Formats: sequence, structure tokens, C-alpha cells
Amino acid sequence: MDPNHSPGMRLYAMIWVALLCIVGVEVFMTYRGFSTVTLLVTLLILAIVEAGVALLYFMHLKYDRPLLLWSFVIAVVFVLLMMNQVWPDAYRMASIRHQ
Amino acid sequence: MSESVAAFSGELGAKMEPSPYGMQSKKLTMWLFIASDAVTFGAILFGYSFLRVGTPEWPKPFQFSPSIINGMIMTAVLLTSSLTMLGAVAAAKAGRRAANLKWLGATVLLGIVFAVLHLREWFHMFGEGWSLSRNPQGGPVIFGATFFSITGLHLLHVISGIIALTVVGIGFQTKWLDENHMETTGLYWHFVDLVWMFVFPLLYLMNAAR
Repeated sequence: MDPNHSPGMRLYAMIWVALLCIVGVEVFMTYRGFSTVTLLVTLLILAIVEAGVALLYFMHLKYDRPLLLWSFVIAVVFVLLMMNQVWPDAYRMASIRHQ
Repeated sequence: MSESVAAFSGELGAKMEPSPYGMQSKKLTMWLFIASDAVTFGAILFGYSFLRVGTPEWPKPFQFSPSIINGMIMTAVLLTSSLTMLGAVAAAKAGRRAANLKWLGATVLLGIVFAVLHLREWFHMFGEGWSLSRNPQGGPVIFGATFFSITGLHLLHVISGIIALTVVGIGFQTKWLDENHMETTGLYWHFVDLVWMFVFPLLYLMNAAR
């Protein structure tokens, strides 16, 4: 891909509308009566899709060299995934406080 | 001399390899900052989530009106400012300074609107008795600490962005800075928007009174 390529304002505007729609869906899902875990997973999936689209188009990752995506984004995602080790202790805390 | 080496000669005669990322060092530096800042926000959002899961009777203070509606408007304002930022960068790359001024002015204005709406939300909560260490509903007080810390850090980024965009805008109009500075600052502004895409659902929607 050519790093100087610009998809144009028409495509940007379409993506902007799509992102606004995702926000609308997030709010709609919030009031569907889902359990906390189901709502969290739903909102996180929508937020990740939203962020991915923004990264690819608004932040131009789609048009930059793939090395940028592989070296930065993958590293950040890996670090964030590693942070998931906290959950067993969070549930332990909750169970202690319930007793 | 090999083509893979010394493809670039700087003003001081330094010989360097071409960037494997195919971009200027200022843009690469911004990506490094964004990666580190993403981990910072990730860590505080994980910290908040840890406390939320581990704390029974977590408060849900946000009514649909006005808090969630206000949050939706703030999100729309920030997303729109990303669109106008793209217009500002496109105009800068095309050398259209007048158009750049209009797009960038709109971006800064939308950033200010976001900050004002955010502060209005905060003062509304202060009025209800919320603070870093107080919960007017009588439950865990940690909600205020996490909410104001995370949204405060994001607001600090927005205000920093407004200042940076203003400085770069003035620099571009006076030809002190070029379109690459505009693009690099735009990356930062989109990142601020990207962080909000996680802050709004995790801090507002997950704490909405349902």
C-alpha cells in the first residue's frame, strides 16, 4: 500500500457514520436487560471493532507498511492480554466480601 | 555505496539507513508514544475493572437522562472532531491553507465543546455529592476515585490535544511547520478519540442505572 494514499473524505464520512451507529448499538444493548458479563462482552466486542476501524482508516494503518501494524499493535495487544491474570484475584476478593 | 545504506544524508552529513516503517521520525515517535499511552490507559482500565469485579454493590449512578445522553453527545462530538481532523490533514497535504484553517478550527472547537460537556458532567456529579472519596449513595467510595481518575486523565489528553492542534495550526499557517507535523498531531487526536471508545462503554454504560 502507498503510505501517501488517502481514501478521501467520502469514505471517511461513511466510516464516521458507521462509528456513530456502533455507539447507538452500544447504548441500545445497555438497556436490553443483559447480565453484567454478557453486557461487558458485548460492549467490549463493539468497542474493539470501533477502535479497529479507527486504527485502520482514521489512523491510516491500512495504508502504512504492515510492519507498523505487526510491531506496534500486536505488541500492545499482547501486553493488554497479559493483564488478564488479575481476574482470579478479583473474584476471590468479591467472594471474601460476600461472606 | 550500497543502496540499503546511507539512503539519506542529513544536513550535518550523517548517513542513515532508510526507515523500515517508511515514515519520518516524528511520525514514528508519535506511534511509540501512542503505544505506550495505550498501555497506560489499558492498565488503569484493567485496574478499574479489577476493583469493579472485586467490589460487591458497585454503584450505578448514571441515569439515561441526563448522563448517558450527555455521554452519547460527547462521543458524537469527539468522533466528528476526528472527521474534521482528517479534513485538516487532507487540506494540509494538498497545500490548501485556508481549507486547513477551517477544518482545524472546527476540530479545536469540537474539542472545546467536548471538554465543556465533560466538565459540566463532573460538576453535576459534584453537586450530587460524588468526589474522589465520597459516594452519596452510601456504597463503595472507590467508584469516584476510578471514574474521576480515568476520565480526568482522558480530559487532560483532550486539553493537551487542543493546545497542540492550536500551536501546530498556527505553525502551519505561518509556514513554520509543514503538513507532516499536521499529520502527526492528527494521529494523537485520533488516539484520544480511540481511548474514549473504551472509556464510554466501560465507565458510563456499564454503570448505567438499568
